[in-house]
Amino acid sequence: MSIRFGDQLIAVLPRLRRFARGLTGSAVEADDLVQAACERALARQHQFQEGTRFDSWMFRIVQTIWIDQVRSRDVRKESGEVAEERLGTDEPVRRVEARLALDEVRRAVGRLPPDQRTALLLVTVDGLSYKEAAEVVHVPVGTIMSRLARARIALQLQLEAGGGMRRSTNDAEAQ
Amino acid sequence: MQKRSDDRLIAYLDGEVDVAERRDIEAWLDTDPAARDKLAALAESANLVRLAFDEVMREPVPDRLIAAARGEAGSAEPSAKIVPFKRGQGFGEAPAARSWWLGLPVAAALLGLLLGGAVAYLSVAKLLPGGIGDKRPAVEMATADNLWLDNAAGYFKLLVGAGDGALIDVPATGDPREALQKISQSLPQEVRLPDLKPWGLSFRGARLVVAEGRPAAQLVYTTDNKAIGPLTLIIGSSKQPDSPPALARRQDVNLLYWRHQGRAYALVGQTDIGYLWGIANDIAWQLDAI
Repeated sequence: MSIRFGDQLIAVLPRLRRFARGLTGSAVEADDLVQAACERALARQHQFQEGTRFDSWMFRIVQTIWIDQVRSRDVRKESGEVAEERLGTDEPVRRVEARLALDEVRRAVGRLPPDQRTALLLVTVDGLSYKEAAEVVHVPVGTIMSRLARARIALQLQLEAGGGMRRSTNDAEAQ
Repeated sequence: MQKRSDDRLIAYLDGEVDVAERRDIEAWLDTDPAARDKLAALAESANLVRLAFDEVMREPVPDRLIAAARGEAGSAEPSAKIVPFKRGQGFGEAPAARSWWLGLPVAAALLGLLLGGAVAYLSVAKLLPGGIGDKRPAVEMATADNLWLDNAAGYFKLLVGAGDGALIDVPATGDPREALQKISQSLPQEVRLPDLKPWGLSFRGARLVVAEGRPAAQLVYTTDNKAIGPLTLIIGSSKQPDSPPALARRQDVNLLYWRHQGRAYALVGQTDIGYLWGIANDIAWQLDAI
């Protein structure tokens, strides 16, 4: 393995973990997913084209493995996982409330259809352009645009319905 | 002028509109308070989504992922304290006769007798004549930094999580020896296939993984008996000295692992440790005897 390849892989790990966390909704599943992606990337590093974006290539691997998993099973999300992890802490109440509010946002993201969730995570969370996101998931730019719009509107409706948006904004500022 | 819609507002927020469209949308926003409210709400929700996932970026990356990125996922040695067995007639020494048939009554006895893991081990140990009865495992629970075991457990969970053999590189279609031959081509040593049918376990195929920094085979067995399967057996080459079998538990996965004559083995599953011991005893005998 070339050192440069391994270094690139390590450098992108935090972003891959964030992307995988958003896809799976579970810290453990996300790290399992990233590990599987690393293994696949190393096995197929000869397929990576120098001069192209390494992060996009890795996002595509993570997304592909995850889609395979989604298709082969019912993903039962542990929607209470993050909140439960926080129980028993001695954080100030306001900060705990802020965390719970953001948990609500994560759960809302988790309820989006997989294709919309992927578009949202790539563009809104990771900051890829529509074109870059389209290359990751192998769809036209227009498809990314429409998936993203549906995701953003659905998310907003969910948060408004749950009363979470204004509360989340206020609480997030407390973090 | 494009149709004024939420899609356009979102593209505007994301900086994905050209100059002409930007001017058009800004003119729209100047004259439409509802559009301005909508834009503010969209911006707010986008900000929340970013905040919701940003904390992941501040978390330390687990060692196992760094090791996986370096291609040395299985290279680290266990840091956990492992209490070895007393050497006996079981592992590392082929018994006088194959004792797989003992597994069935043992398994049946376990179903009735055992409620917990420790009790299970003690019971099976007593039931196995000349087997592991005089051995004491180290039931070593969830100690950190043991990459070899962490990864063996991770491989198991990935496989089970994917379901339906989705991650199996070489499925066992037709003659299972063909799958073994294929996977062996990528390994420093030929892999032999333990027959676990007496336990009701069917070989489903093999996957190429990493153990102790080298390519290894992950053999996949499934069964309708949910008390036993699925199980995976990792067989890799090892430059480490022989080590007696020891038990470990990672997340909710049990592992029984040992090294013998240049090979590292890990039997991994969510089954009771009593079953693991019985099956591993059978595997050790078969692979020694072949």
